[in-house]
Amino acid sequence: MFIEVAQFLTILATGLFFLCFVFSVIFNVNDLNIINLISRIYSHSFLLFLFSFLIYVWLAITDNFSVLYIAQHSNTNLPVFYKISSIWSAHEGSMYLWIIFLSLWGAIYNISSKNDEPLKARTIGIISITTVGFLLFLLLTSNPFETILPLPPENGADINPVLQDPLLAIHPPTLYLGYVGFVIAFGQALAFLIEGDSNINWEKQVRFWSIISWSFLTLGITLGSWWAYYELGWGGYWFWDPVENVALIPWLAATALIHSLSASSKSSILRIWTILLSILVFSLSLFGAFIVRSGIIDSVHSFANDPERGLYLLAFIGLLVMMSLILFSYRFALLVSNKRIISLSKESFISINNILFGTLIFSTMLGVMYPLIYEYIYDQKISVGAPFYNAIFVPITLLACLFLFSSIESKWQSKSVIAFFNNPTLASFIFSLLITFISFKLYSVSKLWTLASLFIGSLIIFRYILVIYSYIFHKKFVNVYSVLAHIGLGLLIISIALNNDFSSERALNIKINETEIYKDHEITFDNLQLIDGPNYESVRADFIIESQNGNKFSLNPEKRKYFARGQITTETAIHASILKDIYITIGDQLDDGSWIVNVQFNYFIRWIWFSAALMIISGLFLARTIKRARQ
Amino acid sequence: MNPIRKKRLQTVLLILAGSALGSFFIIRALDTNLDFFYTPSEMLSEEIPQNKRIKVGGMVLENSVVREKTKIFFTVTDYQGSVNVEFDGIVPDLFKEGSGVVVLGYLNDKTIFAEEVLAKHDENYMPPSIDIQK
Repeated sequence: MFIEVAQFLTILATGLFFLCFVFSVIFNVNDLNIINLISRIYSHSFLLFLFSFLIYVWLAITDNFSVLYIAQHSNTNLPVFYKISSIWSAHEGSMYLWIIFLSLWGAIYNISSKNDEPLKARTIGIISITTVGFLLFLLLTSNPFETILPLPPENGADINPVLQDPLLAIHPPTLYLGYVGFVIAFGQALAFLIEGDSNINWEKQVRFWSIISWSFLTLGITLGSWWAYYELGWGGYWFWDPVENVALIPWLAATALIHSLSASSKSSILRIWTILLSILVFSLSLFGAFIVRSGIIDSVHSFANDPERGLYLLAFIGLLVMMSLILFSYRFALLVSNKRIISLSKESFISINNILFGTLIFSTMLGVMYPLIYEYIYDQKISVGAPFYNAIFVPITLLACLFLFSSIESKWQSKSVIAFFNNPTLASFIFSLLITFISFKLYSVSKLWTLASLFIGSLIIFRYILVIYSYIFHKKFVNVYSVLAHIGLGLLIISIALNNDFSSERALNIKINETEIYKDHEITFDNLQLIDGPNYESVRADFIIESQNGNKFSLNPEKRKYFARGQITTETAIHASILKDIYITIGDQLDDGSWIVNVQFNYFIRWIWFSAALMIISGLFLARTIKRARQ
Repeated sequence: MNPIRKKRLQTVLLILAGSALGSFFIIRALDTNLDFFYTPSEMLSEEIPQNKRIKVGGMVLENSVVREKTKIFFTVTDYQGSVNVEFDGIVPDLFKEGSGVVVLGYLNDKTIFAEEVLAKHDENYMPPSIDIQK
C-alpha cells in the first residue's frame, strides 16, 4: 500500500520536474512571474519526491519485506542504522538516493538564490531535465518499488557484512552529494550559453556551489579510502580500481574547475576553461555512474551486470554531453575574451595546470577503458594496474606542484617577475633542500621519487607558511583557507611518498603463547576467544605488542561469520600513533594449530587522512567566506 | 600568409605536437605496464613471458591446497588446464577450494609466484571468460 504511494509520488514528481523544464523552454524566462512559477513548481515536486523517499526509509525501518528490494538487502536482525543504509547498499536504492541528492541540490539552489538573479529559470530547467532523465532510468530499468505479493518473505536476505560499517553507511551519501552537486555548475554553464549574454557574471555563484561540492567529493573519496584501509585488510588506501578511478576523474576535473573559477569570477578571462570544465565535471560524474552501474568494467565494487541499464545510461549521458558541446561550439564566439592571457600571470599558471590535470584525466580514463578496447581489438584480457598510474601521476602531479609554487608570487592579469632570489622563494628552496638532505642522510630515504616528492611537498608547505607569516605580521591580504588547503596538498604529497617508502609487512606463523619479533617489536599471541555479536559470531585473537622502548599494548583482530549469509569477514586491529599504524589481521588456522597472522607497519597513513581533512575543512570554510562576500 | 594567420598556425601546430608527444608517452607507459590475463588452459598453449606480471583466473582445484608455515600452495584450474601457485601471506576470506580466484604474479618454472590473491566479494562470482565444463 505505502510502497504504491511512494511510487506514485515519484511518478508525479517526474511529471512536475518535466513541467519545469518545458516552462523554462517555452516561456519568457526573464519574466519574474514565470520565474516564480517555475521556482514554485520545482520546490513542490522536490517535496513530493522527498516524501516518497521518506516513506521508503520508513518501510525499510519497519522491515516491510513485501518490497522486493528491501527483502533482498535488509534483515530484521540489523540495527536500525543499517536498515536505513541498506537502502543504498545496492543498485536500485542507491540510484534512488543519487536522484534525491540531485534534486536536493536543485532545491537548495532554488531557495538560496533570489528570483531576479539572471539565469535562474534556465538553470532550474536544466537541473529538472537532468533529474527527469535519471528518474525515468530509475522507474524503467531499476525500479526500487517492485513488490513481492501476496506472500512476502518472513525475513530479508541481509546486507553484505563488509558493508555493515558506520563509515560505509555514510561514504556513498557524501560521495553522491559531491558528484551531483556539480549539476548546479553544469546547469548554470548551459543556462549562460543559452542566454548568450556575455555580461552576466555567473561564475561567482558557481564558484560557491562548486567548492562545496568539491569538499563533499573529497570527503566521500577520503571516507571510501579510509574504509578500504581498515575493512578490507590489505592495508592500502588506494588500489587504482576502476571504480575508485571514476571517482578520481571528476575530482580532478572539479579541482581544475574551482581554480579556473577563481580566475574567471574576477574577470571573464578563463571563461572557455570554466564553461568546458563545468560541463566536463558533471559529465564525468555521470560517466562514473555509467561505469559502476553498467557492469562493463570488472571491479570489486561494481554492481550487477545489466546491459539494458548500461545502454539507457550511455544514451542519456551521450545525449546530454552532445547537446552541451554543440551549444558550446555554437556560442564559442561569446566566450572568447578580448583580453589575452599574459604569460607568467596567475591565469597562465592556472591554464598550464588545467592542461596537466587534463592529461591526468585523459590517462585515468584511458586506464579504465583500455582493457575494454584491448579485448575488443586483440581478443586478449588485460588489466591496468598501479604501475601505469604511478608512472603518470607522480611526475605530472609534481610538475603541477612546481607551477603552483611559481604561481604564489604571481599576480592576476599581470606579468610577474620570477625572482628566484627574492627572500621567500630562496628561503623555501633552502629549507626544502635541507629537509630532503636530512631525510636522505639520517633516515636513509633513497628512492628518487620519494626525495623529489619530499622536496616539492616541503617547498609548497614552507612557501605557504611564509605567506601566512606575511599575513599576520605585514597585514598582507591572503585567502587563508586557500593557503591551508594547499598546505594540505603539500602534506598529502609528502605523506603518500613516505608511506610508500617506509611501510612494510610480514606474514607470521604463530601459535598461542608464542612470541615473534618483527622490526624491533615483540608480538605475543596471548589468547583466542569466541564472541557472539548481534548478527554474527566471531573468533577474536589477543595479541600483545611490545616495542623496544617499552611501549606495550594489545591488539584484537577478529574473524567474523555472519548468520544471514554465512559470509566470513576479517576485522583488522590497528594501533595508531603519529608516525605509524601497526596493523594486524588474522588468516586461517593450520593443521598444527598455529595461525597465520599478517603484521603491517603503515607509516604516515594518519597524515594522509589529516591532509585530506585539512583540504575538506578549508574548502567548506572557503565557501563560507565566498557566501559572505556575496551578501 | 599574413602574420596573424601564421601565428595561429604556429599555435595550432604547437598544440598538435604537444598532444601527440603527450599521448605517445602515455600510451607507452600504458603498454609497458599492462597485466595480461590468462586462463590456465591458455597458459599451456601460449607462450608466457617469464619476467612480466600476469593475472591468472580460474577455480581453486579441490584438494590442491597445501599450507606450509605462512606459505600456501594451490592449483588454479579451468578443468582443461591447470597451473600451480605459490603465495606467502593471508588469502582472502572467500578463498576456498572449488571457488573462483584471480592471482597476480610472475611465472617462473611453471609455478606462479603470486603477489596478490583475489577472491571476489561475491559468492556467485566467476572469473571472466571461463566456462566451466566438469
